[in-house]
Amino acid sequence: MGRVSRLLVLGLALLPLASAAEDSVLLATTTSVRDSGLLDALLPGFTQETGIRVRVVAVGTGAVLRMGAEGNADLLLTHAPTAEEELVASGAVSKRTPFMENHFVIAGAPEDLAGVADAASPEDAFRRIASRPAPYVSRGDDSGTHKREVALLKAAGLEPESGWMGFATTGAGMGVTLQVAGERKAYTLSDIGTFLAFREVTGLVALSKAASSLRNVYALLRVSPERFPRVRAEAAERLEAFFLERSTQERIKSFGRERFGRSLFRPLRLE
Amino acid sequence: MSGARPALSVRGLSMRRGAGRSVFELEVEELDLWTGGALAVLGPNGAGKSTLLRALAGLDVPRRGRIERRVAGPVTMVFQRPIPFAGSVEHNVKAALSGQALPRSERDERVAEALEHFDIARLAGRDAATLSGGELRRLSLARAFALRPAVLLLDEPFDDLDASGQEALSLDLRRAIAGTDAAVVVVTHDLRRALLLSDRIAVLREGRVAQQGEREDVLARPVDTGVARQVGMSNLIPVRFEPPSHAVVDDQHRIPVLPREEPGAVAWAGIRPERLKVDVGRGEGQPIGKGRVLTVVSDGVAVTVTVSWAGHELRTHLLAGRGLARTIAPGDTVTLSVRPEDIHLLL
Amino acid sequence: MNELSPILVLEVTVRTLAVCGLALAASLVIGLPIGVWLGRRRFRGRVLGVSLVNSGMGAPPVVVGLLVSMLFWRSGPFGFLEWMYTPTAMVIAQVVIALPLVVGITLAAVGALDEDWELQARTLGIPPLYRAWLLLREIRLGVLAAVIAALGGILSEVGAVLAVGGNLAGETRVLTTAILMYTQMGEFELALAMASVLLGLTLVLAGALTVVQQGGRS
Repeated sequence: MGRVSRLLVLGLALLPLASAAEDSVLLATTTSVRDSGLLDALLPGFTQETGIRVRVVAVGTGAVLRMGAEGNADLLLTHAPTAEEELVASGAVSKRTPFMENHFVIAGAPEDLAGVADAASPEDAFRRIASRPAPYVSRGDDSGTHKREVALLKAAGLEPESGWMGFATTGAGMGVTLQVAGERKAYTLSDIGTFLAFREVTGLVALSKAASSLRNVYALLRVSPERFPRVRAEAAERLEAFFLERSTQERIKSFGRERFGRSLFRPLRLE
Repeated sequence: MSGARPALSVRGLSMRRGAGRSVFELEVEELDLWTGGALAVLGPNGAGKSTLLRALAGLDVPRRGRIERRVAGPVTMVFQRPIPFAGSVEHNVKAALSGQALPRSERDERVAEALEHFDIARLAGRDAATLSGGELRRLSLARAFALRPAVLLLDEPFDDLDASGQEALSLDLRRAIAGTDAAVVVVTHDLRRALLLSDRIAVLREGRVAQQGEREDVLARPVDTGVARQVGMSNLIPVRFEPPSHAVVDDQHRIPVLPREEPGAVAWAGIRPERLKVDVGRGEGQPIGKGRVLTVVSDGVAVTVTVSWAGHELRTHLLAGRGLARTIAPGDTVTLSVRPEDIHLLL
Repeated sequence: MNELSPILVLEVTVRTLAVCGLALAASLVIGLPIGVWLGRRRFRGRVLGVSLVNSGMGAPPVVVGLLVSMLFWRSGPFGFLEWMYTPTAMVIAQVVIALPLVVGITLAAVGALDEDWELQARTLGIPPLYRAWLLLREIRLGVLAAVIAALGGILSEVGAVLAVGGNLAGETRVLTTAILMYTQMGEFELALAMASVLLGLTLVLAGALTVVQQGGRS
């Protein structure tokens, strides 16, 4: 028994068991944002400047919104505008600030048998895919990407529930979905960051042109300190301010060039 | 047994085991265990022997009554199934001493002594799981003995041992306890095994003590036929007492007994098999008539002969390999004799 | 591209060892006595207790992760402790997962003992603490099986640990959650590097325990 208690003491000494430090802020964001690596590039600067540690929890869009709705985070970084507006309307979130954007892309095999590259619009592209019918892989997980896909299908006059022959749902993250699409030489809708990260592995190419219906807006949401007293409001405000300040916006603009040869995001707050 | 005093005294003890339909109650008014003595507790299965032993060991709480310890020293019990601890033989004995707060040298001394006494010193380093049944029994005893118990309770210590194993073990056990003041209690359903060790006998029946006392007393003078059978007085003959000194079986068979003042309601005459003589000279007893040999069974040590006499089947023992034992055979007619003082009259 | 830095891998590995080690130790300290107690006594609620243990063994770790999260996030009953997304919560979740395993295996081992074992030890005057030690020695093979099983489960746990720990860089990231994350990101080299470390750890630890276990057999 002596050996075991010694282990326990050692363990206790090693772990920061105490509650989250005073100077910290809990940022909840989506896995695709985390996976892009943007936060890893930006946040150390914030911590150096302010001494506030950013604890980043990356879960699915639905879970992030839920955390906001229940006050389990301090600041949200999401890209699901309709749901975000609902959160503001409900009072769970006190302020919504869009701060960067990029575009979704319809990716597919280089052969492009459905002719998406020639489509007039994203809606038209989906109609072409459905009418062929060409294989398509969907995330089906209520993420920001999935929500956009549903909206586009509706706008194209297609039934999102039933899909068409060759329509598959992974219920998983963007990476997995892209890989399945690569295997099946299928089409899929993806955020630009994950698509680029998996481009080599999947062999898929970006087929769609930029369009307003593919616009993907990222916003910061401050969880309401009035509704949820435990929210670290001050730290959240400072982090939000950080994302909006000029130097950060500049860095957002150039992020991704080294790895992919192009930017992943377009800042919205640069005049 | 000079200088002996009670090690454990039981007074007014009442034990209850089980519940509902299967309740068993044990009542012991008075029972003493003497230092340096050995008590054999006999009785059929279900008589309460284990219950009594567990009570003496302090494993169960009595409903009423007291079990007083009158001497210092542990009360230790050895179970019917030897249960070795994982580890070596030596470790087993050391473990038994773990509660004793002994300096290491004394502990090691006691361990060696205990192993010696039971002739398993050469097995000290062996894994207890590899021992034979007999060796395990010796280990159990060595373990208990190392504690220098004031009271040693043994539950069927000779189970699963053959005749020579039993003898050897009882010799070693007797020698081991001879030097100590330990009061030993041996629970067994087998008379012969009990007699190997004990100087006192208690006979239990249906939760009561039917008889207790000095060994020879109980053996020669059981209080009733039940006890008589338990203590090996297997020849029980229904008789009528004819004053002053005869027991009448039937018209042809009258046996002389010791004179009695009050006849009482004598109903049986009991004769221990070893006291019933076959075809012997006058000096060994009064002839009581002829009988016909029914069976002759030898186990190499003793020969058990059953004889039909006066319509009853009597049993007697002969030493194997000697005289009559070599020639006697079923169908023979023999003369039976018994000394009057060896006939015990029972109610 | 994320840096494949040895320091990064080391940091995550050390944290993995600390969290898993603590969880294993706690599971044993709590679970062994309970297993011994359940294995020995016959009492009226025993069947219920053992059924609970058996169902606990089958409980999916993701469910445990969800339930522990609901206890510890701010909106939950224990939110005031601020244990969510800390190693404490991860240890707790892993103990909840491993505990039924330890209890179940231990109680089976104790149940296989001679029913008079306890009594014999008592009547030899062996004090309770030493009796407990002797008992552990009797069932040491079973205990080692429990340790190996618990260790395997704890080291490989990802769902519950991710849910309550959040995979926070520098705070609650362990090998399993890191591997999951890097795989999701497409950083396969990094994921493989960490996977090799995890596999290596598992092999070494399980192997060492097996040697001890099999050594006890002779």
